[in-house]
Amino acid sequence: MRNFLIRRALYAIPTLIGISIITFAIARLSPGDPIRLFTFGIKDFTQDDYLRLLHAYGLDKPIPLQYVDWLSNAVRLNFGESLIYHREAGTMILERLPNTLQLAVTALMLQLIIGVPLGVVAALRRGSWADGAIRVFGVAGHAVPAFWLGQVLIILFAIGLRWLPSQGMLTVGKDQLDLMDRLKHILLPAFVLALVGIANYSRILRTETLDVLGQDYIRTAHAKGLRERVVVYVHALRNSLIPVVTALGGILATLVGGALVIEQVFSWPGIGQFTFQAAIAKDYPIVQAGVMIASTLLVVSYVLRDLTYAIVDPRIKVA
Amino acid sequence: MRRLVAVLGAAMLVAVSCSSSGTPGGGASPSVAATEKPQQGGRVIEATISDIATMQPVLVNDTASGRITGLIYDNILQVDYKTGEPKPRLASATVSSDSLKYTFEMNAKAVWSDGKPLIADDWLTGLKAVGKSKKTVRKSTFKDVVGFTDYSDGKATSISGVAIDPANNKKWTVTMAKVSCSAIIDLIGYTLPTQVFGKYVTDSSKDEIDTAPENTNPTVVSGPFKFTEWRKGDQVILDKNATYWQGAPNIDQYVYKVVANQTAITNGLKTGEITWGTIQAKDLADVQTVATVKIDKYQNLGYTFIGWNTASPTAVGLADKRVRQALAYGIDMDQVIKAVVFGEATKQVSHHVPVQWAYPTGVQLEQYKYDKAKAQSLLKDAGWTPGPDGILQNAAGKKFNLTISTNSGNTERETLATVAAEQYKQLGINAKAAPEAFQGLVTKLTTGDSTLEATIIGWSLGAEPDPYSIWHSSQIPDPAKKVEGFGFTYFKDPAMDKAIEEARNPSNGDCTVASRKKQYETFNKILNENQPYNFGYANNVLAVSQQSLQSFKPGSFSAIYNVNEWWIKK
Repeated sequence: MRNFLIRRALYAIPTLIGISIITFAIARLSPGDPIRLFTFGIKDFTQDDYLRLLHAYGLDKPIPLQYVDWLSNAVRLNFGESLIYHREAGTMILERLPNTLQLAVTALMLQLIIGVPLGVVAALRRGSWADGAIRVFGVAGHAVPAFWLGQVLIILFAIGLRWLPSQGMLTVGKDQLDLMDRLKHILLPAFVLALVGIANYSRILRTETLDVLGQDYIRTAHAKGLRERVVVYVHALRNSLIPVVTALGGILATLVGGALVIEQVFSWPGIGQFTFQAAIAKDYPIVQAGVMIASTLLVVSYVLRDLTYAIVDPRIKVA
Repeated sequence: MRRLVAVLGAAMLVAVSCSSSGTPGGGASPSVAATEKPQQGGRVIEATISDIATMQPVLVNDTASGRITGLIYDNILQVDYKTGEPKPRLASATVSSDSLKYTFEMNAKAVWSDGKPLIADDWLTGLKAVGKSKKTVRKSTFKDVVGFTDYSDGKATSISGVAIDPANNKKWTVTMAKVSCSAIIDLIGYTLPTQVFGKYVTDSSKDEIDTAPENTNPTVVSGPFKFTEWRKGDQVILDKNATYWQGAPNIDQYVYKVVANQTAITNGLKTGEITWGTIQAKDLADVQTVATVKIDKYQNLGYTFIGWNTASPTAVGLADKRVRQALAYGIDMDQVIKAVVFGEATKQVSHHVPVQWAYPTGVQLEQYKYDKAKAQSLLKDAGWTPGPDGILQNAAGKKFNLTISTNSGNTERETLATVAAEQYKQLGINAKAAPEAFQGLVTKLTTGDSTLEATIIGWSLGAEPDPYSIWHSSQIPDPAKKVEGFGFTYFKDPAMDKAIEEARNPSNGDCTVASRKKQYETFNKILNENQPYNFGYANNVLAVSQQSLQSFKPGSFSAIYNVNEWWIKK
C-alpha cells in the first residue's frame, strides 16, 4: 500500500508540471494584459506608470523566466501575489476551497443517497411505472442545463414561495454555526449540482443490478433459501456498486469543476466563481493557483478511487 | 487668499440630474416625513458583484474596494452628491491668488476611532504612502506637488512642497509646481492614521505599505463605520463607529455582500435579502412590480460611445469628418436607447455629461437627430456612392466595410453593436458587429491597434472634468514607438488641445469654473462637429432599495455621502 501511494505521488509530479506549463502558457499568451486592464481609463495614468507596474509585478521579464520564477516559488507552496488583491494566491484559493468542497461533498452525498436507491428500485421493478419514471428522470437530469434549473428553482422556492434563500451560504447576520440556516442555503445549489450524478448513478445501478441479478451465484443464493432482501442488498448490491466506484473516480474534481456554474447561479463563494472572475481580470497567479489546486484534487481523487476498488472488490489488489 | 470652496460654490453650475424617486406604482415614495425621528439599529446589506481587493485607499483601483474605504475613511473634502462640487469634510481649503498654494485645516472635531485627533500629518502619511507604494496607480495624480516625484523616486526623504504649520498641527500648505486646476480634487488624496501607517512611510521604508497587514484589517478609522470582518468572497462586515466625529450612524451594521451577477442582485432585492443595489434597465419592469422596494433613478457619471478610428487603413472613410457626421445622422439613437436600455439613458452629443458642471450649456451643439437622407447626402459628398451590389464604394473602388468591435459578454454593448450595424447597412455600409474579449480589446485600444475600425466601449468620468487623458493629442498611441494612450481615435485638433490645456493649466492662472467652462465649451464644440466618437448615451443608474430604508438619497457623484443619516424603519 505504501509503495502504491509513493508511486502514484511520483506519477503525479510530471502530470502537475505539464498542467502548470499549459495553464501558464494559455494565460500568458491569450490576448490582453492585466495591467492595462485594471488601469484602463485612469485619469493621468502615464506610460511610465504602466512600465513601473509591469516591473513591480514581474511581468516585464520573458515568459519562460516568469514560469521558472513561478515554479520555484510554487514548489514552496507560494503561488505568487495576486495582481488584484495583493495577497498570496494559493492562500486565497484555500480560503474559498472549503466552501466549494462543502457544496461538492453535499452534492456527492445527494447523488449516492438518491441515485443508488433509484437505480436499485428501477432494476427490481423493471418494466413498472416506477422504472419508467426513474428512466425519464435520468434523461431529464442529463438534459436540463444547470444554470436554467438553478434560476427556475430560485424563482419558485426563493422568490415565489419564500421557503429558501436565493443566494449565498449563510443569512447575513446569522451565527456561522447555524446548521439549519446553512442547510437551507445549500439545498438548492447542492441538488442542482448533484442532478447529473443522480441521473448517472440511477442508470448505472439499474443496468448493473439487472446484470448481477442474472448471475449464477444469485440463483444459488436464492436456491439456498436466502431471503430476497439478503440476496439483493448483501450479494447483488456489493457487485453492482463496482462501476459506481469507477464513476466516483474523479467525481469530486468533476463536482468542483461543475460548481463553477452553480456558484455563479447561487452566488456561492467558492473557488469556481473566484477563479472565473480572476480569469476575466487576467489575475494570473490566482488562475494558476486555482488550476493547480483543482488538479491536485483530481489526482488525489483518482488515488482514492483505486484504494476504494480494493475495498469493494477484493479481487483487485493494490500493488 | 480666498475661500476656494466658497468661490466654487458660488460659481459652480448646478447641473440638473434626472434624479427621481418612486414606488413601483410610480407615485411618490412613501418615505416618512422629514420630521420623523430616525430609529436606531438594524443592518444595511448592499450587493456587489466583485469582492473587495483591499481596504488600503492608496491601493484601491476597483469600485468595490472604494466603497469600503469610503465607509471607513473620511476624506478632507467631499464632492457634492448631485453637483460634484468639492465641499469641506475633514478639512476646509483655501487657495492662494496665484493658484499655486493650497492651505488645508482639519476640523477641530475630527477624531480617529481610537480617540486621537486628525492632524495634518495624517494627510501627509497618505501622500507618503502613495510615494512609497510600488503598486498604486495614483502616483501621477500628485506629480505637480513640489518635491513629490523626488520623494517617490527615493531622491528625497521628505516632500518639500508640503509644509505643516509649526504652530498648528491641523494646518498644512501644499505648493504646486504649476497651476493645475484639478489640484483641488487631486489633493483630496488619502488621509490615513499615522499611528497605524506611519511605520510604513519612514525614511528607511521601501514598499512595505503595499503589504501592510492593516490593508486588509484596518484597526483605526475616521469614517462612519469601522471594520469588523472580511469573509473572503462572501461579505465585508462593518459595524458603526460609535465615536464618529459627525455623529454615530443610526444603523448598527453595514454589510457589503458579494453576489455572482446582476440577476442575483435583482433576486436578492425581490426577496429582501439585499437592502439596496443597482439593477440593469432590462430588470426594471420586473422590479417595478415588487411592492416592497423603491427605485431611485439618476444619471450615470459616464457614457457609452462608438469610437471611430480616424486613421484606420481599412475603413478609410472614417478619416473624413463628413462620413463621421453621416454616421451620427444615420443612427436613430433615440430608438437605439429604447431598444438597448429600455429608454433608461440620455443621448449624448458631447464628452461631458449633463451632471458635470463642464457640460456645455452656453454653446449650440448639433444634436444629430436621425436623418437618413442627410446621412446619405454627406456620404455622397465625401465620395461614397453605391456600387453594383448596393454597398458604398469610393472613387478608387474601395468598399465601405466597417467592423464594430465591443467587449463580449456585455449584452447591452453587443446589442448596440448589432443595432448600429443594421442601421449602417441601410446607408449602404457593409457593417458588422464583432464582440471580442474585453482583455484583448483594451490592449488593442491602448496600443493603438490599427485593425480596430469602430469600438463600442464606455467611459466613467469623475468629479474633475479634465479630459486630457482621453482627448489631448499627446495621448494618441503610437505603435511604432510603443507609445500607449487612450486617444485611440487618432483624432487631434490644435484648437482642442489648447482648450484642454487652458482648462487644465491656465496661462493666466484662472481656475474658476466660469473660465474653465468656457474652454470646455470650445472643446466640446470641436468634438461635436468632428465626431471622432458617436457619443452614444449616458445611462440612468437604477438604485433599488427596500422601502424600510430611510434617508437614502443617492446621486450621480455619491450614493453613500449621508450614510450616517440612513435608518431602518421597523
